Amino acid sequence: MNEAVSFLQLVVTAMVPFILAAQGTMLAGRAGVFNVAQEGVMMLGASVGFLVSLKMGGNPVGLVFAALVGAAFGWFLGWVTTRFRLDQFVIGLALFFAATGIASLLYKVVIGVTLKPPLIETLPDIEIPLLSSIPGVGTVLFTQDAMVYFAFLVSGLLYWMLYRTNLGLKLRSVGENPKAADSLGVSVARTRIWCSTAGGALMALAGAYLPMTYTGTYTEGIVAGRGWLAIALAFFGGWRPQYILAGSAFFAGMEVLALRVQVGGVDIPHQFISMLPYAATLLVMMFALRWASVPAFLGRNYDRESRH
Amino acid sequence: MTSVDETRHEAREGASGPLLTMEGIRKTFGSVVALDGVDLTVGRSEVHGLLGGNGAGKTTLMNVLYGLYRPDGGSVVLDGSPVEIRDPRDAISHGIGMVHQNFLQVDTYTVTENVVLGTSLPSWPTVDLKEPAARIAELSERFGLTVDPGARVANLSVGLRQRVEILKALYRGAKVLVLDEPTTNLTPQEVDSLFGSLRAIVDEGMSVVFITHKIRETMAVCDALTVMRDGTRVGTVRRADTSAAELATLMVGDDAAVGRVTEVVTAGMGAAAGTAATGETARDLGDVPARVAVRDLVVLGDHGVPATHDVSFEVRRGEIVGIAGVAGNGQVELAEAVAGVRTLEGGSVDVDGQPLAGRPTAVWLESGVAYVPEDRHRDGILPSASIMENLVLGAQRSVRFRKGPFVDWSAARRHAEEAIRTYSVKASGPSAPAAALSGGNMQRVILARAFSHRPGFLILHNPTRGLDIPSTQFVYDRVREAAAEHSAVLLMSEDLDELTHLCDRVLVLYSGRVVGERTRGHYDQYELGHLMAGLEDTA
Amino acid sequence: MTTTATPPTTTTPVKPAARRGAGLTRSVLSYALAVLLAFVVSGIVIAALGHSPVEAFRAILTTSFKSSFGFIETVQKWVPLVLLTLAFTIPLAAGKYNIGGEGQLLVGATAAAAVGITMKDAPMVVLLPLVLLVGVLAGGVYAWIAAWLMDRFGVNEILSTVLLNFVSFGIVDYVASEVWSDPAAGHPTTVPIGDGGLLPLVGTPPMHTGVLLALLVSAATVVVMRRTVPGYELRAVGTNPRAAQVHGVRIGRVAVGSLVVGGALAGFAGAIEVAGVHGKLIEGMQSNYLLLGIIIGLIARGNALAVPFVAFGIAVLEVGASAMQRTADVPSEMVLIVEALTLLFLLFSDVVGARLRRSSR
Repeated sequence: MNEAVSFLQLVVTAMVPFILAAQGTMLAGRAGVFNVAQEGVMMLGASVGFLVSLKMGGNPVGLVFAALVGAAFGWFLGWVTTRFRLDQFVIGLALFFAATGIASLLYKVVIGVTLKPPLIETLPDIEIPLLSSIPGVGTVLFTQDAMVYFAFLVSGLLYWMLYRTNLGLKLRSVGENPKAADSLGVSVARTRIWCSTAGGALMALAGAYLPMTYTGTYTEGIVAGRGWLAIALAFFGGWRPQYILAGSAFFAGMEVLALRVQVGGVDIPHQFISMLPYAATLLVMMFALRWASVPAFLGRNYDRESRH
Repeated sequence: MTSVDETRHEAREGASGPLLTMEGIRKTFGSVVALDGVDLTVGRSEVHGLLGGNGAGKTTLMNVLYGLYRPDGGSVVLDGSPVEIRDPRDAISHGIGMVHQNFLQVDTYTVTENVVLGTSLPSWPTVDLKEPAARIAELSERFGLTVDPGARVANLSVGLRQRVEILKALYRGAKVLVLDEPTTNLTPQEVDSLFGSLRAIVDEGMSVVFITHKIRETMAVCDALTVMRDGTRVGTVRRADTSAAELATLMVGDDAAVGRVTEVVTAGMGAAAGTAATGETARDLGDVPARVAVRDLVVLGDHGVPATHDVSFEVRRGEIVGIAGVAGNGQVELAEAVAGVRTLEGGSVDVDGQPLAGRPTAVWLESGVAYVPEDRHRDGILPSASIMENLVLGAQRSVRFRKGPFVDWSAARRHAEEAIRTYSVKASGPSAPAAALSGGNMQRVILARAFSHRPGFLILHNPTRGLDIPSTQFVYDRVREAAAEHSAVLLMSEDLDELTHLCDRVLVLYSGRVVGERTRGHYDQYELGHLMAGLEDTA
Repeated sequence: MTTTATPPTTTTPVKPAARRGAGLTRSVLSYALAVLLAFVVSGIVIAALGHSPVEAFRAILTTSFKSSFGFIETVQKWVPLVLLTLAFTIPLAAGKYNIGGEGQLLVGATAAAAVGITMKDAPMVVLLPLVLLVGVLAGGVYAWIAAWLMDRFGVNEILSTVLLNFVSFGIVDYVASEVWSDPAAGHPTTVPIGDGGLLPLVGTPPMHTGVLLALLVSAATVVVMRRTVPGYELRAVGTNPRAAQVHGVRIGRVAVGSLVVGGALAGFAGAIEVAGVHGKLIEGMQSNYLLLGIIIGLIARGNALAVPFVAFGIAVLEVGASAMQRTADVPSEMVLIVEALTLLFLLFSDVVGARLRRSSR
């Protein structure tokens, strides 16, 4: 029983980067901006978060700076694609490269080459009073660090905002039919830029979380493809925050399973175990599109004076 | 934001002077002058028609009024005070509402959600749509625009979706309601219902601007008319003081065209019930065999549901067969099926004796099938490619343009130069990019592609939509020419005037079934409209 | 520059050669400007970091030409760059994004090494063509997996190709650490392939003949894209898939085919790296070729003729990067920043150019 509980507790922790990166992708996507730079933004978020935390006093500061950097990247994508109507994929890929490059550059500049890599303190677990005493569930869900609660909160907030407020009605219309939204006075450009900026901030936070949990170190391979998997999760969750939250459990589960099996010394070569999350995602994607309600204008730029 | 009742109140107060004055409006797109100093004056409680052929600038002018385009010069005065309209939000706040040709609705939203989109709503803790829904219901009643507020618009018919568009404007307290070609997809009966609603709207103190290219409609519903041509205003008259013939002359202008007042405009003037549009009797095609035989055609729509049911018809050599029907009754699916673009679920299509069902599209093209699609930008053109490259499309594997695995570009160039000459395409040459062409010229290129290989079976779907008068005439001439050269022609159109004018036989498509057929000499627009609305065939 | 006669509004065509000349000058100008700006901005950053921009740039730009070794190194680096760029740009012409170049390269390299090791005693006449062929086929098949998922299930190809990259890392790790592992190497590496599988060398200092093969492939790509029927259909699908489909082009097949060809070229690059550069399979041999390939492809705007030239430029920068780190003490990542900035400035120059053209009419 204890085994299962600690396994689940680990899964919930592992869900956080997936939730944040995928919700960020979803938020931008609901306004029609398809950000494909997650992997790079997460790397940069991890790098900035780690370095700031190390040099400027603590994880909270690191998280804030990471979020700001992510927001800047998100803003850039939103602004360039609405103002100049450049292709969203091309800009996203360019931002992915830039973020990846800057992430390693920053680390090299600040830390340089050392024999013993520096460490930061990992985020402490916060016990929710009363609820954390529930056997099983209490440990799994209510004895987690602040970012876990944040991720769940953000998901709930996004659901409420998108589907239960007037703001959400307007926001979603921009991603479904920007011409209709524009004709009724909803600002397409402003909506896209805000959503892309906020989405970028969430993606960077997803990355910043990684060095602050588990081991407290930063390595170049720390993101390990989670950014790309976040795109898959956005589709898998039908571009809806509540299903993305649920779906992240699957991705996190795969990841933790792969870790556990490696450590447990099962007789399959460890390389194949490490392939498991990616291969499983591919399999799942085969069916994901059946139920995805993809925003109609996802990835397409809008031109008010277009004559077509 | 004003409400409908406030407008009515103002009207009763006896406010004087015109409701809307647009003066000296100029708009250019690059080097093209779309509007050249246009004036428009709309009175109170008036249905004001804005009449002109496609490309005359009517929609452009109204887009300026609605804030979608920024004008390069001119001013707008609304209800006595000058206003500046920078975007649709300004337009809406000043009481201008617009119903566009392509409805601007979010398919996944309900009627209520679409109507309230962009307005401020009580949103704490969650958004409450009960009160808006009630107001929408009340407006529907008042103006004869009945629709279910809770229905998802994707599931509604075109006529109902149009009501939603109108309600959007009324909900926001429009003083001026602009309708852009509103009758395009309506049956004659639905048109009458719309006109009734417009009169109700105008009786309450609002004014309506009615954009159209159909003279008959303006004579039926408008109080005053402004005629536009080539980006300028050529005349403003009161309906009572004018005639269809005078309007036709104004629309077409004083140049060469007036002598043979084009059949387009004549067609638009409309026939009284019982007579054929031009008085022509049926052509005698002789006892020729069918070139195209369609039997029990079943084709699926985009959502997996059958869009046609057991459609059967034949087209003989040199015959022009028309398919009439309101958009959304299976026309697109039928056109695509007989063009080889959409797979058949059941039934057969034989061209010149060759069964083509189930074969890949390229085989259909090789067998002499040519398709002029309705949506020319989406389905007909490679925008970033040159005219020459566009003309090769569909024929790249034929011996005409292929030498082994290579494309014979010199043959393609020669062909393009000839096509540009024969079809009078206004372009700098075969290497000109297709995207730079105007709608009319793009259609000429598409026609050149379809016609120039002597098709055995020619399918056209709304080929003159959005074209100016000369281009429309050009299409009609080419269609007649193809028929004279023994092609079998299938013409699908939402324009009954066009069909009754060109076709030897007209079939009516309703809900995916052929529900009636009339031959030339027995065309009655109201009967056809009857059938198009799904009512019983009383012939 | 020649002037063109003002065309009347109807049918006299503008001389195409003159038109092309004007367009070429304009694009070379915008490339030059973008590169210049990128260097200027990077120079500022380098100076801010406390190093000498002049020294850094000298290292980057001249290393390839200072010695014949430098030149050969550059040319040999050009091979995987140009092939991976084509692996990206050929599907791009059909509107598809192949981000799986490195996975396809690695799978091709693995297959090539597998054949080269298991048949190590075969003569060159047999082994070399086989090694190369197997690499091409393996890369093509690996890309076909993503293409099939895209065609059959609508899975976004950016996603599937990237996920397959990660899968390929596991494959290489396994093969290099367990199957044909070279125990003496400190890093997952296989034993060397048989001598018959190695590409012959030419010249002094020696250059592997894979370079000639890559040149051939680049030239062939240009011809196929512009002058053949499959090339036409590919471009039609990329421009407007719907219109292409309506006119009989089998867009599913074309899209899948473009990805398979892209994968085959990447696999070819992998085979050449094994047969010409390393003689074995090494974990990490894919370096940053994928990233660079995409950057090159975007800078060249997908134009098959421009690709080899831009690829050469990038190869020069890359060879100079490690020299720059050594001599000017500037982190080699700076070169990536220069390259990314060039791309961004180029994209902006497109926008500016379009606006200027619009207002001058």
